[in-house]
Amino acid sequence: MSPLAPNPDLRPYLDELERFADGQMSPAEQDAFELRLEEDEALADAYAAYEQLTADLRWAAGHDTLRLRLQALDERMNERGNALERAQRLAKGRQRRWAVLGGLGVVLLLAAAVAAWHFSRPNTAGPARNWEAYYQPDPGPAVTTGLLHSRPLLSEALDQYQAGHYPAALHSLGRVSAAKVGADTLLYLRGLILLRQGQGDAAQLYLRRVGATDSTTELARRARYHLGMAHWQAKEMREALVELRTVAADSLNPYRRTAQKAVASGVLEQR
Amino acid sequence: MSAPLAETLTQLRVGNQKFLIDFYQRSRHLFARWAQRKHQLAAPQAHELLQDTLLDFYDQVADGRLTLLPADLRAHVYGMAQQRLAAHVPAHQPLPAAEASRRQRLLAQFNQLGSDCQQVLTYFYFRGYNFEKMGGKMGFPNATVARLQKSTCLRKLYELLK
Repeated sequence: MSPLAPNPDLRPYLDELERFADGQMSPAEQDAFELRLEEDEALADAYAAYEQLTADLRWAAGHDTLRLRLQALDERMNERGNALERAQRLAKGRQRRWAVLGGLGVVLLLAAAVAAWHFSRPNTAGPARNWEAYYQPDPGPAVTTGLLHSRPLLSEALDQYQAGHYPAALHSLGRVSAAKVGADTLLYLRGLILLRQGQGDAAQLYLRRVGATDSTTELARRARYHLGMAHWQAKEMREALVELRTVAADSLNPYRRTAQKAVASGVLEQR
Repeated sequence: MSAPLAETLTQLRVGNQKFLIDFYQRSRHLFARWAQRKHQLAAPQAHELLQDTLLDFYDQVADGRLTLLPADLRAHVYGMAQQRLAAHVPAHQPLPAAEASRRQRLLAQFNQLGSDCQQVLTYFYFRGYNFEKMGGKMGFPNATVARLQKSTCLRKLYELLK
């Protein structure tokens, strides 16, 4: 027999050999074929070669099947490995993104906390700003039609004062006669206007003289508050504190509550 | 391994290759690490080596060269792989001289057949299906057609071998 192909040539016997091997013969045919196998040497050789071919074929089919199955499994495992790797990469990316976002969040939170602390800490602003904060201005009497007819110059001065035109208001007030309006009123208004103009020193001169004859009038009480604030504006804290304490203690003074607030804040004492 | 050892070889001989498929699935990763550490082999080459080694193992069982399942199968397979590497065997290990070239040639010609013929011959000679079952699997109208188809494919293969 050739090592490369079955020998002898199977082709003349192939039909019979297949029918015999595959059990397709009738019992009589099978008996006859078996008898021939014993007597016909060429047929016996062909049968042996056929058996070897089918045995080899069985091996080849099994070998090839296993090879293909192993290859297919290998590909599946590679795909699964790649998918797992991809999923891990994505998960890592997500974790990194969350870490960055978390870090950003922490930084923002810290910034917010610092900002909150900065804006909520006690105000240590200087007395100049506090003066503005504690001062309660007096707009003066309202300019009515009656006042306009009876005291036109005073009305003009008041109107200018209320509009914030302080130099003009002072000028107009200078033309008002003390005999018609009252000396205390004129002194008070002049002091108010000077105070609003930022001239605390000058304002004190007028405000101090209000109520020189009778310190119990309402105008005198009002003037005392503004006098205290004029001292404060002029950075005379001790004098300001004395005046404002008096106002704070005076139950009839309309500025009592504002004065109490200023005294209680302790700003004047610190200075 | 759930089946008894002796039964495993019998199963392999009658075409149940699940044992080797499971072994490959279980061992591929560890084998690749071993091959990388011992022989500096990249993972794809290691996988190929394990496949070839298991094919050798199957051949040994099918030929009857291996009649007892080794007590330590893993060590046996790793040893076979090492021998392949030492001998610089490129693809399939040659079978014993008397049968090697004949079977390898038949395998090569078998792969030249059309896929239908390969399937028919595999069903009949490897799986041991009868004509009726094979006809059902292949979508043939009846067992006679299946028998004729098998006969035709066998002749084609024989002609390729001649």
